Amino acid sequence: MSDRLTSLREAIEKILPDLDGVLALRSGPGGIVSPYLFTKEHPDELAKLAIWPKEPVPDTLKIILRAHPQAKLAIVCRGCEERGIVEMFKHAQINLDNVTLIGLQCEQAEAEFCRCAKPFTVHSKLTVGQPIQGVPDPLTDKIAAMSQPEKLAFWKQEFEHCIKCYGCRNICPQCFCNICALEDEKWVQAGRLPMENPSMYHLIRAMHMTAKCVACRECEETCPAGIPMAVQFRLIARDVKEMFGYETGADMEQKPPQLLVLEEGEYDRTGLPH
Amino acid sequence: MIKYENVLTTCPYCGTGCGLHLQVLDQQLVGTLPAKNHVISDGGLCIKGWNAHAFVNHPDRLKKPLIRKNGKLVEAEWEEALALVAEKLGKIKTKSGPDSTGFLSSAKCTNEENYVLQKFARVVIGTNNIDHCARLCHASSVTGLAGSFGSGAMTNSIPEFETDTNCFLIIGSNTSETHPLIGTRILKGQKRGAKVIVADPRQNQIGQWADLYLEFRPGTDVALMNGMMNIIISEGLEDKQFIAERTEGFEEFKALMAEYTPEKVEGITGVPAEKIRQAARLFAMQKPSAVIYAMGITQHTTGVDNVKSTANLAMLTGNLGIPGGGVNPLRGQNNVQGACDMGGLPNVYPGYQAVTNEEIQKKFGEAWSCAGPTQVGLTVTEMVHEAGEGKIRALYIMGENPMVSDPDINHVRHCLERTDFLVVQDIFLTETAQLAHVVLPSVSFAEKDGTYTNTERRVQRVRQAIPPVGEARQDWEIICQVARKMSAAGFDFKHPREIMEEINRLTPSYGGITYERLEELASLQWPCPATDHPGTPYLHKGKFSRGLGKFFAVPFKEAAELPCEEFPLVLTTGRVMFQYHTGTMTRRSPKLEQEVPEAYVEIHPDDAVRIGLNGNKHVRLTSRRGVLEKVHVHVTDRINPGVVFMPFHFAEAAANILTNAAVDPVAKIPEYKVCAVKVEAA
Repeated sequence: MSDRLTSLREAIEKILPDLDGVLALRSGPGGIVSPYLFTKEHPDELAKLAIWPKEPVPDTLKIILRAHPQAKLAIVCRGCEERGIVEMFKHAQINLDNVTLIGLQCEQAEAEFCRCAKPFTVHSKLTVGQPIQGVPDPLTDKIAAMSQPEKLAFWKQEFEHCIKCYGCRNICPQCFCNICALEDEKWVQAGRLPMENPSMYHLIRAMHMTAKCVACRECEETCPAGIPMAVQFRLIARDVKEMFGYETGADMEQKPPQLLVLEEGEYDRTGLPH
Repeated sequence: MIKYENVLTTCPYCGTGCGLHLQVLDQQLVGTLPAKNHVISDGGLCIKGWNAHAFVNHPDRLKKPLIRKNGKLVEAEWEEALALVAEKLGKIKTKSGPDSTGFLSSAKCTNEENYVLQKFARVVIGTNNIDHCARLCHASSVTGLAGSFGSGAMTNSIPEFETDTNCFLIIGSNTSETHPLIGTRILKGQKRGAKVIVADPRQNQIGQWADLYLEFRPGTDVALMNGMMNIIISEGLEDKQFIAERTEGFEEFKALMAEYTPEKVEGITGVPAEKIRQAARLFAMQKPSAVIYAMGITQHTTGVDNVKSTANLAMLTGNLGIPGGGVNPLRGQNNVQGACDMGGLPNVYPGYQAVTNEEIQKKFGEAWSCAGPTQVGLTVTEMVHEAGEGKIRALYIMGENPMVSDPDINHVRHCLERTDFLVVQDIFLTETAQLAHVVLPSVSFAEKDGTYTNTERRVQRVRQAIPPVGEARQDWEIICQVARKMSAAGFDFKHPREIMEEINRLTPSYGGITYERLEELASLQWPCPATDHPGTPYLHKGKFSRGLGKFFAVPFKEAAELPCEEFPLVLTTGRVMFQYHTGTMTRRSPKLEQEVPEAYVEIHPDDAVRIGLNGNKHVRLTSRRGVLEKVHVHVTDRINPGVVFMPFHFAEAAANILTNAAVDPVAKIPEYKVCAVKVEAA
C-alpha cells in the first residue's frame, strides 16, 4: 500500500502547482478518511494523503465544479470512480474540460473486498499502481444460484430490513434527478417505518440504476442494514450488456441506452441540471 | 482559492453517537457524508444524520439577541442583553435568595457547555437548582441502576451487539426508529445467529424482525419481567454462582417472584403464558443476553421499578460484567449522557459526586474558590411547578424546549409566564423562547468545538465546520460573559479544550479523556481515569460499582391513570424516525419535514369502528388536561386495540397537551407512556 501512496503523493505534488486543486482522500482524526481538495496553498496537507477506504469522490467533484465551473482540477479515481465520472459526464452532470483524471489501480485485497470485476481505470492518462484482473463476485453468484422461492424469500427479508435512510440514493454518483420517485407518495408511502412496501422502494431504485450503476458499491457500504443491493444492479447490468451492448464507464463516446433516441446535439451538456 | 474539506464531527440527534462529515466548500455547508470505519456508524447514517446539515442555515436562525420591550421581543445588541441578564439574575439572587433561580442545562449542548452552566449555577448564583431533560427520559435509569449496581449508565457497548450478544430482550425501545444504527447493529447480531425478543405494545419495525414478539398492555412491564423471572427460577435456569458471589437480596426477591406465575402474568399483561415461558428460556439459556430498553421502560410513574426489574433479570441470569450482556438503557439525546455526567443534575457535581457529601463539597469548594450550596436542588418538573407558585422567580434555559417536551403543556405555559425573568439561549425562537424576557442566540453543532458523550459512555469530538451564523455565540462563551459581568472568577476559558482540562481535574471518570487523545483515538469510553487508561467498553467486570449487585423485590403497580368510561383509551407517546423531539431542527430540514409534516394518531381498526370513525381522516383527542381538536388518524393493526399512539414532535398538535404530569415518586419522571384519552371522529 505504502508504495502506491508514495507514488500517488509524488504524482500529485508534480501537478499541484498548475491546478486549483487535486481531489483525493485525506486521513483525519482517529485515522478516519474523507475527500479533501489538496491545494498548492497548503501542500503540507499531502502528508495526510490517504487511499483507503475509498470514498464517493465523483459526487464531491460535482459539488466543487457546480460552484467553480472554470476551476482546473484533478481527481484521484479508482476504476469504479472513473466509471462514475464518465457516466456523470454523459448525463450532463459534470464538464470534464478542465479536469485531469489520476487513475489509482486497486490491489487484490481491495478488489476482493469490493467483489470487483474491473478494479482498474481505462481512461486516465496518468495512473498510479499496477492494474490487476477482476475478481469473482461470490455473493452475486451465490444469490443467482438460489432457487426462485429462495431468492424471493431472501430479497423480501433484506428489503424488510430497510430503515429508509435514503443513504443508497444519497451516496450514488448516478442518482441526480430533481424529483425523486422515492419521494413521490404515488410510489412510496412517506413517513412510515417499517415501510408498508419496502420492495417498491428498492425495485424503483434498481430500475433507475439500469445502465447507470457503475458498481462502486458505495450504496452497499453505506447501508446500515447491510442490504446487498449491488447484487441486483450487477445482474441487471448483465442484461443491459446483452440487450444494448452497453457497459457503464467503458467508452467515452458510446451513448447509454437511455439516450439512444436523442438526436446528436440535442442533449445539452452545458445545461447541467441541478 | 477553492477550499473543500470534510469536518469529522458527531451527529447532533440521538444518543447513538454516529460519526459524520460535514462537507464544507468555501466556508459553506454543502452536505453530510457518513464516516467509514467509524466505530459506531461505520459508513452509514440514518435519515436524520444524512440531513444533519440541513437546518443550520435556515432563515429562522436567531442572529441577534432579543429583549422583551413593551411585551414584544425586539432585537438588541449583545452588550445590552448580557448586562440585563447579569443585572436581573443578580437582583433576584439578592432579593429572593439563590434558590429562587433555576437552570435547565441541555442534552443537545456539549459536555463543556453543560459543565460551565452547572458551574455558573453553583458558583455564581449558589444554587443546585439545575436539571435538564434527562429527567424526562432516563431519570429512572440513573436512579434505578444506581440502586441496583451503583452506576446509572448503559453497562455495555454498541459494537458488542453485533459481535457478542446471543439474545436480545428489547423492551420499550422502538430501536430501528429512535436509535436506527443501534437497531441495525442488533440486526447484524441476529444475522450472526443471535435471538431477538421484542416486548412492546406497538408492533414496530424491530418487532417485525424479532424471533419472538410479545405485545403487552402499556404499563405492565414489571409484571412481564417478573413473570419471566418466575419461570427462570422455577425451572432452575438462574445463574446460581453469579447470584451467590456477586449479589445480595436474592431470597426476598425470590419469594416475591413466586407470586408471578405465567398464568397470572398473562392476565395482567395480555401476553400468552407460553410466550412468556419461551422468552424466559431463551433469555436465560442463550448467554450472553442483553436487555435493551428506552422510554417504554422509563417514562412511567413506575419507571424506577421497571428499571430495577431489568437489572434483576440481568443479575438473575449472570449477564453483567461480560461483553455482549448487560442492562442497556438507550439514551435519547446526542449528549444526554454527558449532560448528566457533567453535573447538570440537582443532586450531583460532575461525575455523580454527591452535593451532600462533605468531602466532595470541600473538593469543589477549593477548586472553584467558593463554597457551593449543600442541599439537593429542584428537578425540572419541580422547578416548572414552583415557577407557577412564584417560588422560582428566574429561569435560565439553555437549549431546551419544555413548551413542547414537558407533560401537560398548558400547565407549563402558565408556570413559565409567571416567572419574573426567563432567559432562553437557543438557535431558534422555540415555543419556549417565545415566552422569554431575553433570548440569547447560540451556535449550532456545526459552528462549535466540544465533546458529546453517547449512550454507551463514549466521548467524541464535535468540531467547528463553519463560522457562527449571524451574531450567534458559543453557549459556553455566553455563560462566561454573564459570569464575568457578575464579577465571578473562574470563567476565563478561551476554548472548550480549557474547559475539558478542568473537567479532567475534577471528574475522576473523565480524568484521561483529553482533546489530544480524542484526536488520536477518535473516542474514549468512561470510566477513563488517567491518560494511559484505554477506556471501559463494559462496566461491572468482577465487581459492581456499589460492591454487590442488589436484587430489589419489585411488585407490579398499575399506571397512575387508567382508562375509564369517559376516557376509554390509553394514549402512549413516542418518536418517529423522521422527526426529532420538539422538531426545532428536523422541522426546518426539508427532507425530514417532507416525510412527516404533521402529527398523527395511530388507532387499531376495531377501535376505529368503535368510535365511529367511518372513513373520517381526523379525530379529536381529549384527556383530563387538554384537547387536540383535529389530528390526522392512521388506522393500523400495528397497535393493540385499546391503545392509541401519537408522536410528540408537533407543537401545533402537541401530544403533551394530553399527557399526565404524574411522576415516579423517586426519579420524578413523568408518565408519558400512559394516560387515558377519549378519541372521537372530527
